[in-house]
Amino acid sequence: MKLFDMIIMCLRNLWRRKGRTLLTVIGVIIGCCAIIVMISLGQGMNAAMDNMLASWGDLNAITIYGNSRYIWVGDGNSNSEDKPKLDEEALEMMKNLDHVETVFPKIEVDSNYVTVTAGKNGRYKANWIEIYGVDFSALKKMGYVPEQGDYPSGDDTLHTLVFGNEAAYQFRDSKKRGQNSYTYKQMLPDGTWSEPFFDPMTESVQIYINNTKKPNDDGTYQSGGRAYEFKMTTAAVLEQDNDWQTVYSLMIDMDFAREIINSYNRLNNVKDATEPEFSQIKLWVDDINNVDAVETILSDLGYNTSSMASQRKSMQGQLGVVQMVLGCLAAISLLVAAIGITNTMIMSIYERTREIGIMKVLGCFISNIRVVFLMEAGMIGLLGGAIGTVISFIISAVMNTLGNDTFANMFGIYTDGSSPISIIPIWLVLLALAFSTVIGLISGFYPANRAVKISALEAIRNE
Amino acid sequence: MSFIEVTGLRKIYRLGQEKVYALKNINLKIERGEICCILGTSGSGKSTLLNMLAGLEKPTRGDIIINGVNIAKLSERKLARFRQENTGFVFQSYNLIPQLSSLENVGMPLMFKGWSRRKRDREAKKMLAAVGLKSRMKHRPNQMSGGQQQRVGIARAFVAKPNVVFADEPTGNLDTKTTADVMELMVKMCREHNLTLILVTHDLDIAKYADRIVHLIDGDIHSDELNKAVYDPFTEKDGDKSRQPAS
Repeated sequence: MKLFDMIIMCLRNLWRRKGRTLLTVIGVIIGCCAIIVMISLGQGMNAAMDNMLASWGDLNAITIYGNSRYIWVGDGNSNSEDKPKLDEEALEMMKNLDHVETVFPKIEVDSNYVTVTAGKNGRYKANWIEIYGVDFSALKKMGYVPEQGDYPSGDDTLHTLVFGNEAAYQFRDSKKRGQNSYTYKQMLPDGTWSEPFFDPMTESVQIYINNTKKPNDDGTYQSGGRAYEFKMTTAAVLEQDNDWQTVYSLMIDMDFAREIINSYNRLNNVKDATEPEFSQIKLWVDDINNVDAVETILSDLGYNTSSMASQRKSMQGQLGVVQMVLGCLAAISLLVAAIGITNTMIMSIYERTREIGIMKVLGCFISNIRVVFLMEAGMIGLLGGAIGTVISFIISAVMNTLGNDTFANMFGIYTDGSSPISIIPIWLVLLALAFSTVIGLISGFYPANRAVKISALEAIRNE
Repeated sequence: MSFIEVTGLRKIYRLGQEKVYALKNINLKIERGEICCILGTSGSGKSTLLNMLAGLEKPTRGDIIINGVNIAKLSERKLARFRQENTGFVFQSYNLIPQLSSLENVGMPLMFKGWSRRKRDREAKKMLAAVGLKSRMKHRPNQMSGGQQQRVGIARAFVAKPNVVFADEPTGNLDTKTTADVMELMVKMCREHNLTLILVTHDLDIAKYADRIVHLIDGDIHSDELNKAVYDPFTEKDGDKSRQPAS
């Protein structure tokens, strides 16, 4: 029997019982819609989560924290002596790891060590500002973009400063009192941003190392003397970005940071002072899928690591549970539809017992009979899948238009309000079509086997 | 070797604990071109014999060799192929597919053989013309009389140019006048193509069209004799003595 003839026969049989076929197809449509919509909600949640994480930081990056007393990471029992050192040797090792594209070490200068002043006679003061020693030549590669000025260049950048976008707002005006002595970045009524007290690009900036033996009344410290004061040149103010560490802080040359720490230790007679280590190394990995592998290697070596990818993984795990529950609910409706198909096909076999017998007597291969029945069941599935997909797109569009809040609250799902709550990717369409067809075929399997077992004799017996 | 050779054929049905011997021990040889009537009352085993000759039922014991092939030993698929190539069927209740036109009904055996629609429609048209239903090609079975339906059935049985045609009470549902028409048509088509026709009936009037009458009683051959007065509608002449039964 030719395939074309079998298709015609299959369609003719479906058409013969239009009403019943339609009802069965509707069952599949409902099941298919349920699955597509539920999965599309899951896709929406994932997209919203990725958006959110991307706004927090770079998904390809891993941060390795040093043994700073400020950062508490890990199991809580972490003893700094157990931890490997974050020194030049470690940096070299990380650089040579597979998939690592770039490394960006930082040395954190304790905000307690220095005071930064600006303006005439040091009118503007920042006592608790974060200062990081970095490799200036890597700034561009790291994605820091100057808003004003340019990347530090030239032979001598030892006393060059780079301001984080809001670093200048950390300075207070020592000639004012109370609230007026502080400022912060805010949107003004006319749509522009508020200005800091001074323009960091033009005003002179100094750093001095605190002498902890000479405290001021307000808890700050006086300078350790002329030898501990440095006049800085500002090269750039960076654009706003998602690195929360650098937005409010200053960046200086790595060697200068080491010099400051050593000078502070000398000035204040710190005991057990050691050569400064990196407080943090940021790694960029070539692909987001390799982040996990690299991070595992490093954390196995004992480093404190953190990445958006690991956060993403745990969040995905939580979302996965929600999606699984939704998917199971949807799967139940498709299961019901599958039972409907089986039922329809069995009914159809009872009606067609004689016809099947005649076909057998006239020399039809039983494989052909089986194929025709499977085709009918598969066709019901495919038809339901196709119509269900179209309807799903409509439902999805309605949900996305009607607004995130209503539906998000209804289903208790996470949304950030900016991405659509229901996303139907092309693979989902193909998957739904294939899945409903396969469901149809599976549902038709038992009836088709019954059909081929019908005895030709039984069927053509004279009544 | 005869065209059909049946040796030691036995069929036992089990009804609960009881064994029913539908056929006890049948030995039969039928030649090519012979019109053979299997005559018997209800329960004589005549239908069982026909079913087994057509390969619709497996014998309990014995061999059925048709055209050199032992069909009792064929697989389901090979049997289907065998039916496509060798056999035609005429049923008492016509057994046409109600949803199909007579043209499509006649073309069905060719469809199972894998012929294209164009080719099988051409053959089916020829056959319908041969049975005098040229004007009924697009009609559905329920738009036709019993006699017409049975003629469609005959066209369907002959369309694939089989070697043997089985007819199970082909006129059981027809009136006397139509019965004669249908029987004459079948005999004529068999003679034209030199086909073997196996006719199962309980009706002696039908049996008179056959060359040979095998009388079954209780699963055994009671008598097997040549029809001394073959009713030949074409020559209107009785008995062709040159045709001899094989056994």
